[in-house]
Amino acid sequence: MTSLKRSYASSTTPSTTLSSKTYLRTLRSGKVQKVVRELYLRQDIPCSSQLCSTCIDLAPAGFHGKQDPPVLSATPAGTTQYPQGHYLVPDTNAFLTAMDLFEAEDAARDVIVLQTVLEEVKNRSLPLYHRLIALTKNEGKRFYVFFNDFRLETYVTREAGESINDRNDRAVRKACSWYGSHLQDAVKARQSARCPAVVMLSDDRENLRKAKEDGLIASGLQDYVSGLPDADRLLDMVAASRDQRATRDEKAKMVYPEYMSMSAMLTGVKAGSLHQGTFSVSPYNYLEGTVHVPAFDRPLIIQGRENSNRAVSGDIVVLEVLPKDQWKAPSSKVIEEDDLTKNENAENEDESAEGVVTEKERRALQEEVKRAHGKVAEGKPQPTAKVVGVIKRNWRQYVGHVDKDSVRSEAKQSRAQQTVFLIPMDKRIPKIKVRTRQAGDLLGKRVLVTIDSWDRDSRYPVGHFIRSLGELETKGAETEALLLEWDVQYRPFPKSVLDCLPAEGHDWKVPADTADPGWKGRRDLRDLLVCSIDPPGCVDIDDALHAKLLPNGNFEVGVHIADVSHFVKPNNAMDKEASLRGTTVYLVDKRIDMLPMLLGTDLCSLKPYVERYAFSVLWELDQNADIVNATFTKSVIRSREAFSYERAQLRIDDQSQQDELTQGMRHLMMLSKKLRAKRMAAGALNLASPEVRIEAESETSDPVDVKTKQLLDTNQLVEEFMLLANISVAGKNYSAFPQTALLRRHAAPPKTNFEELANQLKVKKNLELRSDSSKALADSLDTCTDPSDPFFNTLVRILATRCMMSAEYFCSGTQAYPEFRHYGLASEIYTHFTSPIRRYADLEAHRQLAAAIDYEPLDASLQSKSKLEAVCKNINVRHRNAQMAGRASVEYYVGQALKGRVLTEDGFVMRIFSNGFVVFVPRFGIEGLIRLRDLGGGKEVESVFDAEEYSLSFGERKVELFEKLKVRIEDEAEEGTGKRKIKLSLV
Amino acid sequence: MPLDSSTYALAHLRVDGRRWKELRRIHGQMSTQAAADGSSYFEMGNTKIICTVLGPRQPTKSGGRDQSREAIIEVEIGVAGFSGMDRKKRSRNDKRTQEMQYTISSAFASTVFTSQYPHSTITIVLHVLSQDGALLAACINAATLALIDAGVPMQDYIAACTTGSTASYASNDEDADPLLDLNGMEELELPFLTMGTSGGEDKVNVLVMETRIQMPRLEAMVSVGLDGCKQVRNILDGIVREHGKKLLSSR
Ligand SMILES: [Zn+2]
Repeated sequence: MTSLKRSYASSTTPSTTLSSKTYLRTLRSGKVQKVVRELYLRQDIPCSSQLCSTCIDLAPAGFHGKQDPPVLSATPAGTTQYPQGHYLVPDTNAFLTAMDLFEAEDAARDVIVLQTVLEEVKNRSLPLYHRLIALTKNEGKRFYVFFNDFRLETYVTREAGESINDRNDRAVRKACSWYGSHLQDAVKARQSARCPAVVMLSDDRENLRKAKEDGLIASGLQDYVSGLPDADRLLDMVAASRDQRATRDEKAKMVYPEYMSMSAMLTGVKAGSLHQGTFSVSPYNYLEGTVHVPAFDRPLIIQGRENSNRAVSGDIVVLEVLPKDQWKAPSSKVIEEDDLTKNENAENEDESAEGVVTEKERRALQEEVKRAHGKVAEGKPQPTAKVVGVIKRNWRQYVGHVDKDSVRSEAKQSRAQQTVFLIPMDKRIPKIKVRTRQAGDLLGKRVLVTIDSWDRDSRYPVGHFIRSLGELETKGAETEALLLEWDVQYRPFPKSVLDCLPAEGHDWKVPADTADPGWKGRRDLRDLLVCSIDPPGCVDIDDALHAKLLPNGNFEVGVHIADVSHFVKPNNAMDKEASLRGTTVYLVDKRIDMLPMLLGTDLCSLKPYVERYAFSVLWELDQNADIVNATFTKSVIRSREAFSYERAQLRIDDQSQQDELTQGMRHLMMLSKKLRAKRMAAGALNLASPEVRIEAESETSDPVDVKTKQLLDTNQLVEEFMLLANISVAGKNYSAFPQTALLRRHAAPPKTNFEELANQLKVKKNLELRSDSSKALADSLDTCTDPSDPFFNTLVRILATRCMMSAEYFCSGTQAYPEFRHYGLASEIYTHFTSPIRRYADLEAHRQLAAAIDYEPLDASLQSKSKLEAVCKNINVRHRNAQMAGRASVEYYVGQALKGRVLTEDGFVMRIFSNGFVVFVPRFGIEGLIRLRDLGGGKEVESVFDAEEYSLSFGERKVELFEKLKVRIEDEAEEGTGKRKIKLSLV
Repeated sequence: MPLDSSTYALAHLRVDGRRWKELRRIHGQMSTQAAADGSSYFEMGNTKIICTVLGPRQPTKSGGRDQSREAIIEVEIGVAGFSGMDRKKRSRNDKRTQEMQYTISSAFASTVFTSQYPHSTITIVLHVLSQDGALLAACINAATLALIDAGVPMQDYIAACTTGSTASYASNDEDADPLLDLNGMEELELPFLTMGTSGGEDKVNVLVMETRIQMPRLEAMVSVGLDGCKQVRNILDGIVREHGKKLLSSR
């Protein structure tokens, strides 16, 4: 062992000057703390310009002797204003309003991020702070963080009476002036000609004025960007600046009430007079939102723009409950934004001057209120509330298209700046007002925008364009759109990730020599007759199975899972990327992998006829499929065959096949049926969701037909053993790591979730739906049948699924054991283990199981509860998004398959509104709204809506809930937007 | 929200502007209270300690006669309510305080010539006026100065400091730098240990670590800690010599 005695004191101890700063900090609890901190001011912080030779060895090396090379280029890009080249020094607001610009690949290089600015950005917005930090790590962008508050020459103390903002502005100016003179000295020393300009970017007029006074080079954001090539596109990325907003403020009318202060809200929530929750907008009525709050069983209803007060779906809001006389029943009417506000003008807001609520909206709401009031006697008004403030915005980037009607001049060459509306794909998001010079170009394109602000004086949120994805309805644009909309990482894997792959590439093999370290701790299971059963064409084979009869009459059953954790080591670049992606996303014609192809479809994939590493769960099961014992081991297997569900089924059914492999499969089939029966008896739910398969011509991948998926016994065979493996592993991991096992739970749904459905079934079909336990629910679902229509039961199951909670990953230390329960599977503990190629949760479970059986030590990240919680949170979101993206992709393809066709199909009424009803078409798994107005050729039809009986009569016709009817399906390109939609109409 | 220790990697600067191997400003005085047998005032950054030493003297407690052949070192730590960021009263029976008392007592038992004072007690009383990290280390350093002031014979100074690591436990950052002398904010965010040595860096008297750290990083931390203790010892030595000079000149 080397001696630990070493001397680290540097030969020339840098001199530091001590200063201190004192500030007050308000805690979440409302307490105020006084913080006193020391500051060591120093002169060894480099400017990091490659031009400067004095700074090169200035910074002492780190412990490992590493020194950071200078970041800023010696020959930074020039612009028309700064032909000699320039370094940018943006102030806080520049980053807050134009982060997209700084992220643009072809603009804004050689940027000096001041510590003062970084700190302020962190204060104002954590997401933007993280984006800025990511930029500083991007080598191509050359962003350098200069710690100006630690450098003696640039440190600025706050003067008496000076506001923090003024002090910070002064600090930015001081840093600029230091950089300016420092660079000049550097250039002189090198005797080179070009001295880059140090350009301060700010939109604060006062700051700009003072900078000019001090003789600094300074520029407003707009002015600066205007001087860049391709300025129009870049300008759109800059959010409406403070300056523009300021001029508007003078004449602006406040259309929304003011928010309460943060501390008042927190106090109110604490005291119980206010409520906090996530705002979610109804997909059928954009003027109605609901918020689940802990204090009430039922969600609070927020109706109308004024009450929702600038909250956007997904925001965390604080609510005040309205007086009881304003309580209402939830809306029974469909209201879509484009219908009511079609003709608004994005430009002149004040002239339309109708305040927050347009006349049409008001009328629509008025009718609602009337109806609700009429109903009060029968009684189900629900508490309504209004938003008094927003705790946290959850704005993201939105995909949408430009509202054609809002574009003033469509001429492509028009470069005049105009304000247009952007209509997001997500119906729950309001239109976004965007200023642009490229309106002509962007018409008919899918575009990506972001919301910047929503001030009190603006009816709609204000945002800016990020980029165009391509023509509407083209496959490329629509696919990218839905990936962006569901935040799926779809870029190719970076080099750092690919570097983690085995160097042998596709030639990698299980070492022939069993003395190889790869074999250590592995069982040789190559002689077992293992096979895999998957959907046809599956290339990422996660799992394989085997079964054989033991001499004692019991069965040995093995589930073998791809040993992904052998290839993906914790915390390397590949693992980080996989943990970020969380899951593989399956679209109709595309798969976005969690792991690089080489692993997913080759080295890990349990392909037939080759040896592969596996992680095996081996059970001894008795004749009743009860577990006698279970063992877990890393192994080497050789799969004998890869079956599709259909081929496996045929093989099992074919009595002429009597070989051992087929026998094994028959054992598996027999056992799986017993396992299933036991699960069902325990109350597992059999829930249906419409799954649709798209048949495509392979070459063009244009959809040809849509078919509903067929379920075979072999599907269930595989599913049963996967469930069994997951449950066994969950138990093992939990016993080994009671605090940090990664598990999956499915909470029991609150009773109120089923009230509506139960009532509907009772009124319409005289059926009883009980939901006191999963067993009761499963049993009563079995009784919900309509002898005349076999599909009715499936319909009820689809509706029941929508009343459920969603399952989630969690870390075992965060919940009490009874809360581990998986309601849908009726298992008291559960995890995901069987698909590590396509789910990150399974990979983590593999690592935990490997440690639990002492195969290898557990990585530190899997012992930290907080780290695991963060992982769970991310994969929960990714999992949901992947499902949504998949669904959206199917929807798009169904639309494309139906393009230009008119079909008549059976449909079922699944929901009734006062001005329309929703029909579900089983064959395509689609549901669509039929509005009375469409039936009447554009005019509202006289109708009678009976909310108690769930029926809607109009003319001669009466439509009832659950009714089976014939609908005509055609596709329709929406006028104005050119968006293709499936349209249903009554035959 | 000021920046936290996660920005270290950006420019290898810590939250207060120091580099990885730099101590904070250390200031010490001796004979601050005339009434005590020995006393000192010690600052490591914003951690401020007053220490008084009583004894060696006969045990004050009545009852069973003390038959031990060595002096007992008693340590009392009082943490002022205003010393931390939260105004919180720590009771004397607080577990952490008790543990520190025990650690300090056993550390000095190994360097003070206790056998010269059988049947007697040496009491070290520490008052924490302000806390900003390295509390145990500062207490040990303050006690060293006060013991010297009291003229208690001992083999050598015990000089103490803390070392940490820039990466938090769960991240496997290979390039993590060890950090010398964490301030309060760093202690909250990073894994760290407290180390006290005597004879420069020859003998480790105290080594306490309450956070988790990966084994490979420990070596660097200990190595930097040993060097840090040596630096602290030199500073303590300077304070003692300065004090000695003042005493001589005032005669
Ligand atoms: Zn320089």
